[in-house]
Order: sequence, then C-alpha cells, then structure tokens
Amino acid sequence: MKPSTLSLLRRADLLVIAAVFLVLGGVLTIQRTTDFVIFCIFVLAYDLLYGYMGRLSFGHMLYLGVGAYAAALSAEHLSGNPLVALLAALLCGALVGLVLGPIIVRTTGACFALINLAFNQVGFFMAVTALSDWTGGEDGMSAFYDPVLGFDFGDPWVVFGFSLICLLAVVYLMKRLIASPFGVLLRSIKENETRVQFLGYDTFRYKLVAFVISTAVAAFAGGLTIINYVFVTPSFIDPGRNVEVIFACLIGGAANIYGALTGGVVFMIISNYLPNYIERWEMFLGLVLLVLVFRFRAGLWRYLAALVARSGAKEVVS
Amino acid sequence: MSDDAILRAVGVSKRFGAFSAVTDVDYVLREGEVAGIIGPNGAGKSTFFNLMTGLYAPTQGRIEFRGRDVTRLDAHQRVALGIVRTFQLVSVFGSLSVIENLILSVLRFREGAMKPWRFLFAKAHSVEVEDACLAALQRVGIAHLASAPTSTLSYGDKRRLEIAMSLSLNPRVLLLDEPLAGLGDGEITEVLELVREVCKSVTLVIIEHKISRIVDLVGRLSVMCEGRLLADGDPRRVLEDPEVRRVYWGDKAVAAAS
Repeated sequence: MKPSTLSLLRRADLLVIAAVFLVLGGVLTIQRTTDFVIFCIFVLAYDLLYGYMGRLSFGHMLYLGVGAYAAALSAEHLSGNPLVALLAALLCGALVGLVLGPIIVRTTGACFALINLAFNQVGFFMAVTALSDWTGGEDGMSAFYDPVLGFDFGDPWVVFGFSLICLLAVVYLMKRLIASPFGVLLRSIKENETRVQFLGYDTFRYKLVAFVISTAVAAFAGGLTIINYVFVTPSFIDPGRNVEVIFACLIGGAANIYGALTGGVVFMIISNYLPNYIERWEMFLGLVLLVLVFRFRAGLWRYLAALVARSGAKEVVS
Repeated sequence: MSDDAILRAVGVSKRFGAFSAVTDVDYVLREGEVAGIIGPNGAGKSTFFNLMTGLYAPTQGRIEFRGRDVTRLDAHQRVALGIVRTFQLVSVFGSLSVIENLILSVLRFREGAMKPWRFLFAKAHSVEVEDACLAALQRVGIAHLASAPTSTLSYGDKRRLEIAMSLSLNPRVLLLDEPLAGLGDGEITEVLELVREVCKSVTLVIIEHKISRIVDLVGRLSVMCEGRLLADGDPRRVLEDPEVRRVYWGDKAVAAAS
C-alpha cells in the first residue's frame, strides 16, 4: 500500500470504521454487531483514563451500569423516547463521575483501581438489593422504547445504525480531545503528574474532567446497551465484568483510538463465538493475553500498522 | 527589611518524622538578583527549594512572594505567580516529542488559550502554537531537535529543554536545582552560558554542589549545612568564612590555610 493511500484511509477513518462494522453486521447477526459497536464506545471511554491518563480502573462497570439503569428507569418513569433515555444515562454517568471523582482522582495506581472497584461493589449491591424495588433486583427490568421520527427502535437495524452513528461521534470526540492541549496534558500526567503541576496546571481539575468524560461516555454506552437488549440485569453493573474492557484495551493496544476499536471488536469476537467451540473459553483468553504480553505488548493495532508501514516502505524501495 | 524582596523564607523548618531536613531558615531573595546556594550532599538545599516552590508544606515558618504569604499555595498557584523551578534529576516528558514538551508551558499563560473549550478541543499542534514552541527551543539552542522523541535526547539537551519549558512560563523567579549535575564538561560550559543569558532577565536562584562552577556567576552565595543556613552574602566573603571552610573542605584545609 502506498503511503498516500494510507494517509487517505487515515483521513477517512470514520468512513472506514463505519464500513468495517457494516461488513461485520452483514457477516454476523446484526444485534451482536450492535453489541460490538456499543462495547467499542465503552472501551474508548475506558481508554481515555487507562491508556491516555494512565489510571487503571477495576470498577468501570459501575458507570456503564448507572447508564444502563438510568436508561431503563427513564423508559419506565419518564418517557418512552430512547433519546431521553440516553440523555438520562449520559447525565447520570456525569453526575456519578462528578460526585465520586473528587475522591477517586486523588489516587493513583492500585489505590485508584481498587477505590473504583469498591464503589462498583456498592453500586452492584444497591442494584441487586438495596434499591431492588426500583431496579428489579436479580431479575432486572425490561425497557421498551417508542419510535422517534418514524424510526422504530424495536428494529435491530435502526438500533445498529443509531449506535454506529453514536460510535462515530464518540470516536470524533476522542480524536479531538486527544489532539488538543488537554490530550497532551493527560499524557503528561500519565508520565509525571508532579511535573505538570510545576508547569502551572491544577492537575486535580483536569483529571476530574477526564474522569467525568469517561464516566459519562461509559454510561452512555450503558444506555445504548439497554436500548439494544430492552432489558437490564445486575450483570450490567457487575464489577466482575470489568476485566472485559481491560482485556479489550490490552488486545488492541492502549492509548490509541484505533487500538481501542480493534481490541473491542477482537475481544467481542472471541467472547461471543469461542464459547461455541470451546467450553472453557476463558482459558483461551488467558493464553491470548500471555501471547500479547510477551509478543505484542503495544497491542494488535500498532503491530498491524507497523506491518503495513513496513510493507509499504518495501514496495517503494522495490 | 528591604522592599525589593521577591521571595522570602521566614523561620522555615521541615521535619520528616524525627529527621529535620531544614531548620529555621531565614532567606531573602531580591528582585534581579542571581543567588547561589551551595552545600554538601544532604544539606537540605533541595528540600529548601521544595518548600519555596510548594512541593512540600513547611512544618514551621512561612514563605512570602513580594510580601504576600504563599505558604499555603499549591505548586501550580505559585507557578501562576511566577515562581518556577527545574529539578535536580532532569524532569521532561520522555514519552512526548520535544516540541510537545513545550506545548503546556507555552499555552499556560497565553491569552485565551486556557479557555475550557479551546483547551479541550483546539488543535495542540496548530501552526501558531508550534511557532511559539520553536521560538522557545530556539532560545536554548535546540530548535533543530523539535520533532525528535524526547527520550533520544542527550542529558544536556534534556536540561536545555527543561530550562526552555521553565522560561516559557514567564518566571519572575527561576529556581534551578543543580542544573549542571550529570553533565559532561562541554555541556557544563554550554548550560552555564545559557544560565548567564537567562539571568539577565529573570531573578535566579541556583543550587550547585561544586562552588567553583558558579562562583563567577552569582552575585550572592549562601551555604547550607545540616539543614541550616550557615553563611549568606558576597561570594568571596562567604568562601573566606572559617565555618564554611570547615564544613566544605574539612578542618585540615582551615588548618593549612592559617
């Protein structure tokens, strides 16, 4: 591939992403592909904190779950409009981020990971037990949405198309954030937060902003999930599932938007289809992780990109 | 007490548990001064810098900037006042490119650049910003390295980069913590020349381990030892102080001199 073709692809990346998911949608079932799309949004939200700011969270299912329950509760108590549900999910995610963030972002390393986990456990408990009158406890609750402007959200293709547009919007948002001074600031905080303070920046404030963006987008993904599934159960807020998004980041390569997407899709393919062939598929996932750590530490995406760049260079030479 | 004091420490102490790193230090830095602080390893020089710049809060005493008590201000707030520092172990961002290292400092006090919307969504690599970064690199003589990965720079070039970052913050006072440490002989001459250039426009405090390197540079010299300020004043006179000679060269040198 010529470098010019590559740079052209890069410039039209949103179209390429849309095309890839459309092909996936044709090959796989549409509802599953929608699931892939939504999971990718969640991975992008996670990667902003983990990849770019260098903060590993073990409790991000809380924010996904808050969005999921907010969307379901909005359908039951507010309005059947799915856009209202998504707005509710986004706002609740941001609110939870704003309330918990000031405590959480003060910490780093293991402490950051575990304090998120602790809050996630509390959230899980509230969904299952404490607020079960509202959430339906273990059984969860259904959520049905009305058509908007003639688009019936009961139609899987409508949900797919809508989710895909949302993903593209989030990719665009993340690209802008990463390319901005804020993006440089996050990467600097990842490397040496104290130094950033001595450049005159109140790092606490910016970490909080990044955290709230991450929780809000994660909750938005949670809301979309419910529109896709039409029911919510505590599994959407189960801290045990947080490992999925970490795996996705590692597989694709952290601190890279395309890496997050690659990781999201590859992880979903493994976790959705491998169980059909291998009963204890998680073991295989462990092996994948081992190979990644030892062979492709920078993630699949960077490996592939380097491969393409090298073959392109060879072609130019020959 | 003169009114042209820009930075002042009043009875400042810092204890870490039972260990007293800095003990009851009074220090006044005047506007336009080039001051040096020397002392043996573990004398409390860096801790004193950390207290002045807000990395630590003093256990006792207070820090003033132009008569204003800044003891309780965070590091970033002191930077906003113009108290800027470098670190003993050169502290730049190895995972960023050289030019990216400058973006944050160049934008920090630039008109309108910190507006939330612009900071979050404007391009960091705009022509305007890159030009400003290049100008800052030019000033320390490493503009040709702008697009290099910072981790590939020599230690001396990293030191220059760190100084460029500090200068972009429009400092009123610049505190250089052992800027010559870890440099080769050629690099020392170059960085010293740079510091000589810088001190024409900025009030400067420089920590150094070896007296000979900065004795021609500074207009005033302070000696720290075991957390205390041992001597303070004209460099030549300070160096003749028998107490200073005792801690710095040991009793033998004093005996030999007398």
